[in-house]
Amino acid sequence: MDVDNTFNIQFTIIFIYLFYVNLDLCDLMKVDRIKNNPLKLAKKILHDLKASENMGLLRCVQCGMCTSSCPGAKNSGYNPRDMVKRVLEGDESIINDEEIWNCFYCYTCHSVCPVGNSPSEVNQILRQTAIDKGIVKDKVGPFAVYGDSFLDIGIGAIPKSFFMELNEDIEGWLDLKSELEEIRGELGLGPITIPNESIKEVNTLLKKVGFNKRIEKMK
Amino acid sequence: MKIIPDKNILLFKSCLVSTEYPGIESSTKYIFDQLGVEYIIDHEQSCCSGLGYYSDVFDQTSTTLIAARNFYVTKKNNAKNIAVMCATCYAINKKSVKLLNKNNEFRERINNVFEESSMKEMKYEKGSLNPTDNIFHVVEIFFNKKKEISKHVKIDLSNFKIATHHACHYCKVHYEDTIEGFRNPRMLDELVESLGVKTIDWYNTKINTCGAGFRQRFANKPISMKVTGDKLLELNEQNVDILIHMCPNCQMQFDRYQPYLSKELGVDFNIFHLNITQLIALAIGGDPYKTVGIQTHTFSIEPLIKRISEDTI
Repeated sequence: MDVDNTFNIQFTIIFIYLFYVNLDLCDLMKVDRIKNNPLKLAKKILHDLKASENMGLLRCVQCGMCTSSCPGAKNSGYNPRDMVKRVLEGDESIINDEEIWNCFYCYTCHSVCPVGNSPSEVNQILRQTAIDKGIVKDKVGPFAVYGDSFLDIGIGAIPKSFFMELNEDIEGWLDLKSELEEIRGELGLGPITIPNESIKEVNTLLKKVGFNKRIEKMK
Repeated sequence: MKIIPDKNILLFKSCLVSTEYPGIESSTKYIFDQLGVEYIIDHEQSCCSGLGYYSDVFDQTSTTLIAARNFYVTKKNNAKNIAVMCATCYAINKKSVKLLNKNNEFRERINNVFEESSMKEMKYEKGSLNPTDNIFHVVEIFFNKKKEISKHVKIDLSNFKIATHHACHYCKVHYEDTIEGFRNPRMLDELVESLGVKTIDWYNTKINTCGAGFRQRFANKPISMKVTGDKLLELNEQNVDILIHMCPNCQMQFDRYQPYLSKELGVDFNIFHLNITQLIALAIGGDPYKTVGIQTHTFSIEPLIKRISEDTI
């Protein structure tokens, strides 16, 4: 029994040792990989269609104007300066970071940046990357039905799952929806909806670029 | 300064204007008619997809494909210019024109989709629209005609304390095209001044976002409401009567949630929220219900109308 126990303890020690050595090795390999190609993530972002032409991502001087003017940073753990720093270090874990979901897309950072960078667009592209990886269904799932309504009627509608809360927060909001056509008539305005032929065109085009599949993957 | 058109305009329909504040559309038409601005509306034009784009649902290709179809609708009407009533329609359409003009490979891809869908007439021709010279917010068209607007004013609004909220997606996204500044935007202030009222002009939270933040209003309500509340608190301290908007999403955030925030924060907010198109229409004689469309507002505009008629008597 004693011999067995001793063996077990020794084995455990060796195992822990190897585990840490391995971790160290992993860390070293990681650092090495970053050193070899630190700008892979930044370049991917710069080539994304959502990035503005000549976006100054690589010119970032970490001045912090973005964070100091950011409504997300003021009210949550989101920090656009740090997000950009991690992108420039090639730290891909930023894609999984919950905090990137607190950006308002108000573009204040984009408009004040002294080197023409756009943390707002960097954020949008990181979120798209997370969506493509299929790791943020909890974040985008509730909004995916917006895409369904676009395919069905050519207009995006506020997802029905939010209707009840909106109606609770805003007195008479759903009543207004039921009176809308009548009010538009009083104002001399045409229909809200687009003609069936146009809906068909929009639907065909979006399906051609796989938009319907994209929506299904989000759910 | 860029040349702002007053004809060959497609008035671009907006989903939030149509369903939340249709009075913005009827007011715009009313002002355009009074000023002799020539425009058309085409119901074949689809929604810009902006709410989906900024909720991360729409990718760039899908959004630009929709935009290119709408550019075809514009061209089919022999219109050269697009005028939008929503700041997000402005940002989305400008971005798509820029991409289609500059990125040859991407434009080819979009045009191939049209070709393969038997809609080759919709193909986008490089340079057929210019992002700076052909895509406008209706407010820019009004701004260009502010001297003329002054001549049409029938109602004195000078007893009201007015502040402005310049929409982020007009001012900050394509800031190189923004007229009258984006760090201290004054476009709306000058327009209000043309109606005979001096605004409060700068205030600390003037360029702060409305707080809607697309997904944030729905998925992250506490921080969304905090941002909206901060601005309302400052305006309330300054005893502002009316906050002027230029985007239906901002207007929704402030008007729809003001009563909610009054309860949440225990502060009695009594600020009227009007779009600049609604304020101008009202000032030049538009009917509050048949033109301005005050019946779709959550924080009632009726006390404001009552004050105006009392002042007039």
